[in-house]
Amino acid sequence: MIQLINLTKVYRQFRAVDGIHLEVGKGKIFGFLGPNGAGKTTTIKMMAGVLAPTHGRIVIDGMDLLKQAPAVKRIVGFIPDRPFVYEKLSGIEFLHFIAGLYHLEQGAGLERRISGLLELFELGGWRDELIESYSHGMKQRLVMCAALLHRPRVLIVDEPMVGLDPKAARLVKDIFRREARKGTTIFMSTHSLEVAEEVCGEIAIIQEGRIIAEGTPAELRRQAGVDGNLEEIFLKLTGGTGDLSPVS
Amino acid sequence: MGDIWLLVKPRILGFRNHLARASGTRKKRALAMAGLGVSFCLGLFVISCRVLLHFQSAEVIGDILARYLLSMIFLTFFSLLIFSHVITALSDLFLSNDLELCHSMPVSLEKIFVSRAVQTLADSSWMVIFFGVPILMAYAYVYRAGPAFYFHLFHLSLAMTVIAGSIGILVTMLLVYVFPAQRTRDIIMLLSVGMLVALYFLFRFMRPERLVDPDAFFTIMQYMGALKAPRSPYLPTQWITDALWASLTGSGGGDVLFYMGLIWSTAAALAVITVWTAQALYFEGFSKSQEAKKRKAAGKRLLDRLVKWVERPFGSDLGAVLAKDMRTFFRDNTQWSQLLLLGALVVVYVYNFSVLPLDKSPIRLDFLQNELAFLNMGLAGFVLSAVSARFVFPAVSAEGSAYWIIRSSPLRLRRYLWGKYLFFLLPMAVLAEVLIIGTNYMLEVTPFMMGLSSVTMLFMVFGIVALGIGFGAVYPDFKHENIAQVATGFGGVLYMIVSSLFIGGVIVLEAGPVYILFMSGVRGVPVSPGKWAFIVVSFAAVLALNAAAVWRPMRTGLKALRGYE
Repeated sequence: MIQLINLTKVYRQFRAVDGIHLEVGKGKIFGFLGPNGAGKTTTIKMMAGVLAPTHGRIVIDGMDLLKQAPAVKRIVGFIPDRPFVYEKLSGIEFLHFIAGLYHLEQGAGLERRISGLLELFELGGWRDELIESYSHGMKQRLVMCAALLHRPRVLIVDEPMVGLDPKAARLVKDIFRREARKGTTIFMSTHSLEVAEEVCGEIAIIQEGRIIAEGTPAELRRQAGVDGNLEEIFLKLTGGTGDLSPVS
Repeated sequence: MGDIWLLVKPRILGFRNHLARASGTRKKRALAMAGLGVSFCLGLFVISCRVLLHFQSAEVIGDILARYLLSMIFLTFFSLLIFSHVITALSDLFLSNDLELCHSMPVSLEKIFVSRAVQTLADSSWMVIFFGVPILMAYAYVYRAGPAFYFHLFHLSLAMTVIAGSIGILVTMLLVYVFPAQRTRDIIMLLSVGMLVALYFLFRFMRPERLVDPDAFFTIMQYMGALKAPRSPYLPTQWITDALWASLTGSGGGDVLFYMGLIWSTAAALAVITVWTAQALYFEGFSKSQEAKKRKAAGKRLLDRLVKWVERPFGSDLGAVLAKDMRTFFRDNTQWSQLLLLGALVVVYVYNFSVLPLDKSPIRLDFLQNELAFLNMGLAGFVLSAVSARFVFPAVSAEGSAYWIIRSSPLRLRRYLWGKYLFFLLPMAVLAEVLIIGTNYMLEVTPFMMGLSSVTMLFMVFGIVALGIGFGAVYPDFKHENIAQVATGFGGVLYMIVSSLFIGGVIVLEAGPVYILFMSGVRGVPVSPGKWAFIVVSFAAVLALNAAAVWRPMRTGLKALRGYE
């Protein structure tokens, strides 16, 4: 469903993403892990069509993102790490705005869909309030509603759990699993190894712009030669120890 | 003191890093802006010198006029400083993102407040210094001031800034204490725009142009009576004027010391009162400003109707973007309130033409009327460019940090940009025609000039709006805190220059044909075939220039927006 072919992004002399090759199948939840500044967000932004790659291709559902951007974007939902939205719109107006952008048919069906999503993300009571009065977590949930509104076949998510309380985080994980069961492919970057371990069937680890390991958690264990949890695999592969000794 | 310095330091370091680590393009832009700033200062200095020399040429009243002018300048600057401190204090003391960090540190509230007040003082005063220095240097030049004048100018201006700053900060603290900071911003914005509109009307309807025509007054007493500069012994600006005037003309050394004492003791007292008040009110106000309250959308039904009517012709995706723009615009008090300013500008613009003393001119009336109507196209074009710089140029930047939504959506950027263009075309065309037809009506121009200027303006609107959208896309600012500031950046200035050149180009190209046609009408002589050819070529060139002004900036803007990262 998703193919990244030799994907590269260079900022002046700095190679933020360095020739990535990845493939994600339909209905999979794919975890994209890496230390801070490894190139996760840059990769995600290129996949969402927000950044242009320096080299390489992004193919989604058989379509090249660079050549058929509107068609690809129509089947993709994007959830960025920071929920910047239009503060002077109410929640419901924002979702109607998104519906307009994706050419969703106006009418009772759309209203039901919007109401259903707002209730699902526990924003029903806030639908007519201006977004400027929402908390960070509420804005994040609203962005998730917007990303799911047009029933995307691919969901690209950058750090989904940032700013969410445990209840909302649990809800989001359940929704991702349900969407994946329905055939939606989810590509998700996260810092949270627990989340990755819990929901991702396959994982790739990126460091300094390159994929250094890829596969199911079991395959990663084999590659790292570690028999522990994902945290230990991650630390082994990325060269970190997590020791306090240098600080003390 | 060490803690206060530490709290101010991040701003200084940030500014230094911003300058030191700027890319080559940024450095060039900064140099270009600095060049423009220096040219502006020089121009202001030269004009001020000419005005003062003109005053000096009038015996008896020359010095009185110069002194009145100085008093008015200080009064204006003082009012601007208070006004600017009220607005800046709101963000520096209550809304800045780094305040949470500062308040969580083991530093006393007093020190946090003083460090922020110092920042407010710097942020609010630089613009007044920029405008004030050339004018005051003109006084020094014309009156051959000695070193004492510069010394007094420096420290007395500093004292005046402290007085204005203390008043401004006190007002803001009291307002935030009563209302939450987010609402206070709206209230201050509305009050300030209302005040500006009132001042603008007051100043214009006083008809200051009469003062340069003393013949219009019967006696010198009447003339002096018309100079209504407020003169009060309790105004700090009057103390500064009197002190500086004494220093400038070398008269009354004792006066200088007396006024220095008055000014500095007032500044010190106000500073202390401000810190005391802060100890009592600042933290509570800051705490209130952190609270988010549910806010319902006001005037929803009316806005919904307007939005539905406007978005209909643009299709689902573009309609959604424009509906969002309209809702955001009308819900942001800092935005729509500027329409009041625009309305005042139009009224005064048209009013100016009604008070032109055309009958006193030695030039034939019909000739003068048409000549003015022709030049008015340029002036109206310039006004339109200024309006466009404020409303059209920031149209792309208005997406702000939410621009990712547009980029990740299936909406094509070409459609997005042209949609924004079409959206602004109609209101700008209406404004242009109101300006040009209104003023032509006041001038009682010929039907030919009325038709020509209306059509020319209509064509120019296409170019002015395209330049605004195009330049706005080439120089977007998605990280702005206040959309009104977008137009004051490098891109906005460049847009104004290019737009003015475009308007000048159209006027120059049309001048020849209009003169030929007008003179043939006056003399009753038919236009020769050669001249007809010239007329056709000139008007074709106007059309070509207009087409280029639409096509080129839109294309460049689209390219820039596609490559934006």
